[in-house]
Amino acid sequence: MTRLKDLLLQHTSMVLFGVVFVVFGLLAPRFLALENLMNILVQSSVLVVGAVGMTFVLLTAGIDLSVGSIMFLAAVPAGHLVQAGHSPWLALLAALGVALIFGAVNAFVVVRLKVMPFVVTLATLYIGRGLGLYITQTRAMNLPESILAVGSATVLGVPLVLLVAAFVAFAAHYTLARTPFGRQVYAVGQDGEGARKAGLPVDRIRFITMTVCAVSAGLAGFLTIARVGVVSPSMGNQRELAIIAAAVLGGTSLFGGRGQVFPGAVLGAILIQTVETGLVILNVDPYLYPFITATIIFVAVAIDSVRNLEVAKRALRKIRPLGV
Amino acid sequence: MANDLANTGNPVALQYHGITKSFFGVPVLKGVTFSLRAGHALGLVGENGAGKSTMMNILGGVLVADGGQLTVNGQAYAPKNPKDARARGIAFIHQELNLFANLSIAENIFLTGFPKTGLFAIKRKEINERTRTLLASVQLAAEPTAKVETLSPGERQLVEIAKALAFDARVVIFDEPTTSLTARECERLFALIEKLKVQGRSVIYISHALEDVRRLCEDFVILRDGEVVAQGPREDFSLDRMVSLMVGRKLEQLFPARSMVPTATALLQVAGLSQPGVIENVSFTLHKGEVLGVAGLMGSGRSETARILFGLDPAAKGEVTLDGKPFPNRNPAACIARGMAFLTESRREEGLLMDADVRENVAVAALPRFAGRGLVLQNQLQPKVDAAARSVGLAEGKIASGAVKTLSGGNQQKVVLAKWLLTEPSVFILDEPTRGIDVGAKAEIYTLINNLVARGAGVLMISSELEELIGMCDRILVMRRGEVAGVVDKAHFDREAILRLAFGGGIA
Amino acid sequence: MSNGSTLIGSTSTPAAPVVVAAARGARWQRWLRGDTWVLALAVVYFLALLPVAPDLANPENLQLILSNMLPLLVVALGQMFVLITSGIDLSVTSTIALTSVAGAGTMVWPALGLTGTAAMLAGAVAMLLIAGAVGATNGLAITRLSMPPFMVTLATMMFFSGGAIWATRSNGIPGLPEALATVSQEGFGFVPYALMLVAPFVVGAHVLLTKSVFGRRLFAVGRNAKAARVSGVPVARTVFTAYVLCAAFAAVGAFLYTGRLETGSPVLGQRIFLDVIGAAVIGGVSLFGGKGSVAGVIYGVLFITLVDNSLNILGFSSFAVLMAKGTVILLAALFDAMRARKVAVRA
Repeated sequence: MTRLKDLLLQHTSMVLFGVVFVVFGLLAPRFLALENLMNILVQSSVLVVGAVGMTFVLLTAGIDLSVGSIMFLAAVPAGHLVQAGHSPWLALLAALGVALIFGAVNAFVVVRLKVMPFVVTLATLYIGRGLGLYITQTRAMNLPESILAVGSATVLGVPLVLLVAAFVAFAAHYTLARTPFGRQVYAVGQDGEGARKAGLPVDRIRFITMTVCAVSAGLAGFLTIARVGVVSPSMGNQRELAIIAAAVLGGTSLFGGRGQVFPGAVLGAILIQTVETGLVILNVDPYLYPFITATIIFVAVAIDSVRNLEVAKRALRKIRPLGV
Repeated sequence: MANDLANTGNPVALQYHGITKSFFGVPVLKGVTFSLRAGHALGLVGENGAGKSTMMNILGGVLVADGGQLTVNGQAYAPKNPKDARARGIAFIHQELNLFANLSIAENIFLTGFPKTGLFAIKRKEINERTRTLLASVQLAAEPTAKVETLSPGERQLVEIAKALAFDARVVIFDEPTTSLTARECERLFALIEKLKVQGRSVIYISHALEDVRRLCEDFVILRDGEVVAQGPREDFSLDRMVSLMVGRKLEQLFPARSMVPTATALLQVAGLSQPGVIENVSFTLHKGEVLGVAGLMGSGRSETARILFGLDPAAKGEVTLDGKPFPNRNPAACIARGMAFLTESRREEGLLMDADVRENVAVAALPRFAGRGLVLQNQLQPKVDAAARSVGLAEGKIASGAVKTLSGGNQQKVVLAKWLLTEPSVFILDEPTRGIDVGAKAEIYTLINNLVARGAGVLMISSELEELIGMCDRILVMRRGEVAGVVDKAHFDREAILRLAFGGGIA
Repeated sequence: MSNGSTLIGSTSTPAAPVVVAAARGARWQRWLRGDTWVLALAVVYFLALLPVAPDLANPENLQLILSNMLPLLVVALGQMFVLITSGIDLSVTSTIALTSVAGAGTMVWPALGLTGTAAMLAGAVAMLLIAGAVGATNGLAITRLSMPPFMVTLATMMFFSGGAIWATRSNGIPGLPEALATVSQEGFGFVPYALMLVAPFVVGAHVLLTKSVFGRRLFAVGRNAKAARVSGVPVARTVFTAYVLCAAFAAVGAFLYTGRLETGSPVLGQRIFLDVIGAAVIGGVSLFGGKGSVAGVIYGVLFITLVDNSLNILGFSSFAVLMAKGTVILLAALFDAMRARKVAVRA
């Protein structure tokens, strides 16, 4: 019995995932159709890319609240370029470039000027949003076919957007798990002061993680406009919450040093998207979406916390064998 | 001067020559000179604040010296950062280990210099293989891929040593390495240090456990107020001489005489206290005016018993009677209200609010005594707080100074004592009250304990230092594997007998 | 701590003079450590902008600044309690929206048949009850299940904001009693009624923080929860109370905001999260816990409100205001970080 409980507690997001699937599948059989599942994966791509980037920052015990604004701000020049008839690839470069600069500014203030990431990125969330609204004069930009073609392109029958997300997840996972930099990220998140003492380039590592997160958000912004063909003023609004929630659902700790991209953040992102898509398919009152999403996040985090309590209880020093 | 150490003909591995260091114009090292031979262990002893850490931090590249010269193997050495130190073969094993619990053993060892295949990837096979060899040489039976968080404190220490061996350190500095080790782990560490010496490496060993230092080290350097007051081979130093050199005081003065004998009135009675997997059937009685020592190895259930008594951890069975009245459903607040106090093992984690000042720390446990309708009676509290701080010997300047984290270990412990004295406890549980504290502050704490029992309180004193228990206690309760192994009366205090109880007759 | 005006010892007592040259910098340092620099910042800002925007000093504008400050102040003070425990409450904005809707709904509920002042009071009671429930939910999840405050309040933020929108189908609730508008917008002579409403909460927060057992415990928990527990501090109860207080203070803010809008709105307060956190942080409340004072928060709120007001007077567009406010908060946080480093080096 405790074994089963352990197993359930160990794999919270997997179990929740299964439950969500079964529930939606029972309520709407067409939810389980291959086409729909593929659709969910494609829709998840944006969130996956964002959550993967966020994982880097969370691993160093940082946070980036500005990702939603970065998505928007990166999409604006990209939109202008395609509207002016330039290639979507140039637009992609522009989006990534803007995100890179934004991330470097965030990182500079956090790392060099030593201001708390929470405050810095909360402020830049508003600055970025304001700047984007100022440039677009709060009007939605409808984009030409050329960029939608990128969003709906397929390679060997697999949507390009999905491939991009998969590549990002793979590269990130590989970097974190197999490279010196990745392992040092974990060390910095576990004990920043200790990492400094051990001679790790802590500032550089923090700087890079924040930039990686911003660039991921920029890519997510590009993918969004490639799929919907519009830069709307509310684009990316509050998306930072879903992105952080996805990373945390995947088992990444807000206190640093724990978590991984795969299955972690990827699964968390797909889970959130699955719920959102499933609710659409079930024709649920749209007003109820936030309730359900919030409840799932709450339950996942609650289960995770209960598990941590259990682990802590068991880790209490055992002096004597039990039952003697 | 450098040559009056034990002369075995080994070459000099490391030399300090007139090293000076000041902080904000206050000299901390006033021209330190000594040398260390290859294959020797040098015991560095001195009170807290004598300058030991500064000395070692200069060697380890954490601090830069103001003046003087260091040489390593005859060549000038001026490290700017820990990396420089490592490049010259100097390993510094800090008291608080510098390991990352979320990474594997192998990753910890190679963290700053992973071998790579191609541009990015870590050679995982290689680091695991090399780690396996290193772990074998420190006799740690663990997988290289095991996460450090699954290791005990003693095992983690061995990983630190393996880390030093990984870059072939020639000088290994140990700063208080035994504070969190069990007796068995200590033995293992000492054997390993002997092995390092045989391999021709030098060791600098810093510890307040003078007996360990005497056992391990050929050479001694005794530091007081930033100066070397004596150095020489082991034979020149008796324990008494070491202590008097450190503080200018004789050893027997360490344990002050007590004027009062314990009464027969039971204060705290514990009957059949049990918690599965932790303690089993622990029973004892603490009397008014008594100091009851609790001896035992690390992990024998001493601290666990204290935590259960103070309501921090649950107990499945057993009865606790305080002042003749039963005391079920304990929690810290209720315990404090009924006159109990608990000085915990870890000052930093459970003892102090490090960022708060002395007064705030002293006041926090006694707040309910100085409250009316939810408000703090500041006029009554303030003088009592200051009186309590003064009564433990905190200087006026220290009381008014900033955050307690800026105080020395000894003064911090006095703050914790003042906090509990303000609650006027009748039963005071002290868990390792003198750990990591210099000799002078120890003596002051012993006097405070005596004053407390003279007023009719009872003290339960947990300690790993047998000398301290023998010097201070009326009776000693010995624990082993979560059970009471026996109680020894003052008349029968005997190191060997107590140890035999603690080890379960394993060593005779 | 002779006058008890600040609980944080480090701000009320000078450091031991380690530095030989300390005497010269001691006063400067004490000033840096306190909260008054924020007030000075606000005054300097005000004076610097006066030549460009003389309207700032108009009596009507000063009155406006004051009445803009009041609801934000009470919300920020609530958040301060939570921040001191080293927690955070992201759900305050949703609490404001939900209580606004619930309060307005109660005021116009036909079944109750109340009008005027009675309706307003019934609404106020409903707001406090709902806020209490929100705070209790947050508090229970954080203390009983040991969930991270950030995630708990993120989830409850989505949940309760969703609740407010769902209950009203995104529509505002108009037709509120005249009394509510009077209380929120008018005053007795030069003294707005809103000030009379908020003042007890400000004084209460100050007394709680500096004079009460709860306040001392709040700081102890924020500094080291484990040590606080061993010292007999009821940690869970203290943290729980902080979240309930935070929600209750938010309800008071929501009452005023609703009254000024004369509508119960499900999106009320959505934009003020930055202002709340910004005011608290500028006012010296640490996001790491264990630090904060009512005076500091008042100055922080004054500064934020002043920035907002001045940019409006200067004719900035709403998104420019967003940017400028973000920048100003960033700069203030920057200055605060430099100040903290300066103090740390000196100590």
